[in-house]
Amino acid sequence: MFMKSLLVLDNDIQQITQLAEFIEQFAEQAGLDMALTMSLNLALEEAVSNVMMYAYPEGTKGQLEIEAGFENGKCTFVISDSGIPFDPTTKQDADISLSVEERPIGGLGIFLVKNIMDSVSYARKGEKNVLTLTKKV
Amino acid sequence: MEVTITKTEQSLTAKLVGRLDTPSAQEVSQKLEPLMENADKELILDCTEMSYISSSGLRILLSLRKQAATKGGKVVILNINDEIRQVFMMTGFLNLFEIKNG
Repeated sequence: MFMKSLLVLDNDIQQITQLAEFIEQFAEQAGLDMALTMSLNLALEEAVSNVMMYAYPEGTKGQLEIEAGFENGKCTFVISDSGIPFDPTTKQDADISLSVEERPIGGLGIFLVKNIMDSVSYARKGEKNVLTLTKKV
Repeated sequence: MEVTITKTEQSLTAKLVGRLDTPSAQEVSQKLEPLMENADKELILDCTEMSYISSSGLRILLSLRKQAATKGGKVVILNINDEIRQVFMMTGFLNLFEIKNG
C-alpha cells in the first residue's frame, strides 16, 4: 500500500485544528489504530507548532507544508517551511526525573516528538527547513 | 475545550471537556485562573471527558501543580484515558500528580 497527502498551513496556531483533521483522515486511509493515530496526532502537533513559533519571527506571516506518506508499513511526515534556519532536534532532552519545584514549565514538545517517532531528522535545503519524522506501524 | 468550575469551601473542581491542545491552551489557561488564585486549596481536575492533551496542556497542569506546591494546596487529576496516561508516562507527569480513577 502506498499513499501520500499534502497539507499547507499558515503559521497560525489556530490552524493546528486542520492538522488534526488531516492526520485523522490520513490514519484512517492507512488503516492505523486509534492509539497510534493519537500518538501521531500529538507528535505532528508538537513539531508543527514548534515550526510555527520559531521558524518565523513573531508578527511575520509564513506558510508550512506537511506531507504525509505511508509505504511498506512506514509513516513518513515531512514538514517544510521557508523561515529562518531552525533545527529543533538539537534541543536538549527534558529531564523527567526532576521534582515539581525543579521542573521547567516548557520543553516537552520536541521531547514528545522524539519519544513517539522512530526517527526525527532535520535538513536545511536551499531556503527551506525540512523536518522529517518516521514511524513504523 | 469546555471548562466548568464548581467551588466548595475546601476545593475547586474544574471539569475539562474536549481537547487540551495548542489552539485551545490560551483560553483554557484563562478559564483556570480561579484555580491558580485558590492554589492553597484542593484543586480537582476532572478529566473524565478530556480526549487529548499536548505539551501546551501539560504546561498548564504543571503551572497549577507548581502554584499549589508553593501555596500549600494540592492538585488531584480525575480519570485520564489510556492515551493521556501514555503521555503522562512519557513525560514523567505520573510521578508529579495524584491521579485518581473512579
